[in-house]
Amino acid sequence: MTILETKKLEKHFDGVQAVDNLSIGIEKGEIAGIVGPNGSGKTTLINLLSGTLEIDAGAVIINGVQKFENINPWQISFYGITRTFQDVRLFEQMTVLDNILVVLTERNVFSSLFEKHKEYHLKKAEEVLQKVGLWKKKNQLAINLSYGQRKLLEIARTLAMDAEIYLFDEPFAGLFPEMVKIVSDVVKELKREGKTIILIEHNMELIRKLCDYLFVMDEGKLLAEGKPEKVLAKKEVIEAYLGK
Amino acid sequence: MGIIPQLILNSIIAGAIYSLVAIGFSLIYGATKFFNLAHGVMAAIGGYSVFYFAKTLGWDLWLAVSIGMLLAGLIGYGLDKIIYKPLRKRKASNMVLLVASLGAFTALQAIIAILFTSQFQTISGNIGAQNIYEIFGGVITQTQLIILISAITIMAGLALLLKYTMFGKAIKAISDDEEVSKIVGINTDKIIGYVFFIGSVIAGLAGILVGFDTGIKPTMGLSLLLKGVIASIVGGIGNIYGGVLGAFLLGFVENFGIWKISGEWKDAIAFGLLIVFLIFRPRGIINN
Ligand SMILES: Nc1ncnc2c1ncn2[C@@H]1O[C@H](COP(=O)(O)OP(=O)(O)O)[C@@H](O)[C@H]1O
Ligand SMILES: [Mg+2]
Repeated sequence: MTILETKKLEKHFDGVQAVDNLSIGIEKGEIAGIVGPNGSGKTTLINLLSGTLEIDAGAVIINGVQKFENINPWQISFYGITRTFQDVRLFEQMTVLDNILVVLTERNVFSSLFEKHKEYHLKKAEEVLQKVGLWKKKNQLAINLSYGQRKLLEIARTLAMDAEIYLFDEPFAGLFPEMVKIVSDVVKELKREGKTIILIEHNMELIRKLCDYLFVMDEGKLLAEGKPEKVLAKKEVIEAYLGK
Repeated sequence: MGIIPQLILNSIIAGAIYSLVAIGFSLIYGATKFFNLAHGVMAAIGGYSVFYFAKTLGWDLWLAVSIGMLLAGLIGYGLDKIIYKPLRKRKASNMVLLVASLGAFTALQAIIAILFTSQFQTISGNIGAQNIYEIFGGVITQTQLIILISAITIMAGLALLLKYTMFGKAIKAISDDEEVSKIVGINTDKIIGYVFFIGSVIAGLAGILVGFDTGIKPTMGLSLLLKGVIASIVGGIGNIYGGVLGAFLLGFVENFGIWKISGEWKDAIAFGLLIVFLIFRPRGIINN
């Protein structure tokens, strides 16, 4: 079943066509990789899927029924979508623990706003922070974390949201091997739980190991798609990567 | 009665009033990142509500005070819903929002002047003769004591709310990164609406207290706003604890500044403090 679909999606910045007539479909429960040279529009695609940027033309379809010409960023969590940012974005002046607790709010009920955190919120926060090895740092301010820890905290935050669709923008970039292992374990576990993952990544070894399906973008367009081994063997894909 | 203890007391009372204005201003700035100049007029709305309901209509004083605070809160909330929120949606710059808030300020102040004339009025008439207390060799009136107690209560209550509730964490998150707050599912428009309500209620109370202490006029909001803004900048803009610190520093500098010179210099001294901070410590006492 196709859980997330784009239909002729377009986004341009001044002269640059960042996403160009892009139609792709993501299957539920799969890890879909997105690769492509720098500037090929991968991040822009995620920004469009998460409502961070407004769509110029085309549409996004969630679960085959909800069709959007534009998504309001605060609504994406209701549609089960969560994301990370390529340039990690945290609540810098809040502690590691609060970075997680703040997303564990019942978001619709007025009275819940004035409630304190309950035992189960703390349990959930501990669970996700343990998973990425940050529980011991729970009282540190986010701004004082190392680069790798920041990436892990951002991933923990997406886990706390209990989403259906996870959009990860280069989650492995710049990480030490032991952290790469933590993140790939998280991704594999999400898949085991039946979640859907979109993974932007440059490391082809990781792509081969993790992804069920692969999209190759170039200059905003879809260059190729299919099983990773097949796609990565295609001549035009190799050309796009090695430069024409 | 010693002069120094009296100056200290006066400074603390002024600081308490400025804090009440600065807290709301800072809270709103933190969440929206624009200077909401209309914040000042909430004080006048509070003061004039009490004047109208208690003095003109003769209603119960506590009821009038409650209505005044509620009215200020609702008007602050309404401004956000009707003016600022649509502007935010259109990605208006902070300068546009500032100008819009100046417009709202002017309009509301004019309405108050039309309804109640521009004359100075008192509202303390029906609380009768004031008790006067002596503390540490200084003199404080009953009204001023109430000012102090209200300010401390409000500050403590707000601090607890911000620190321990989901709402407080959501406000912090929005101040930190509004876009990410949306992505993680925080309904930022709703939270910002509540922030306007709470901030305006507190500003309304400040206006009521000033009204009891000295009296009201339609332009009272402007001078309170300026003091609140100076306190916020001196303390560290967007940080309510900074705002409180700045407010008390301002209260002390102002009152000790006019020790040997005429009280007319108060505002000049306040702006002098602002300029000193803008030059030497532009991000305020608490600068993170
Ligand atoms: N906010 C923006 N403003 C202007 N140009 C942008 C913006 N975001 C991306 N671009 C441009 O769009 C193109 C695609 O960028 P991006 O989606 O970040 O590529 P990728 O993530 O594949 O490296 C690039 O040419 C980039 O310069
Ligand atoms: Mg990118």
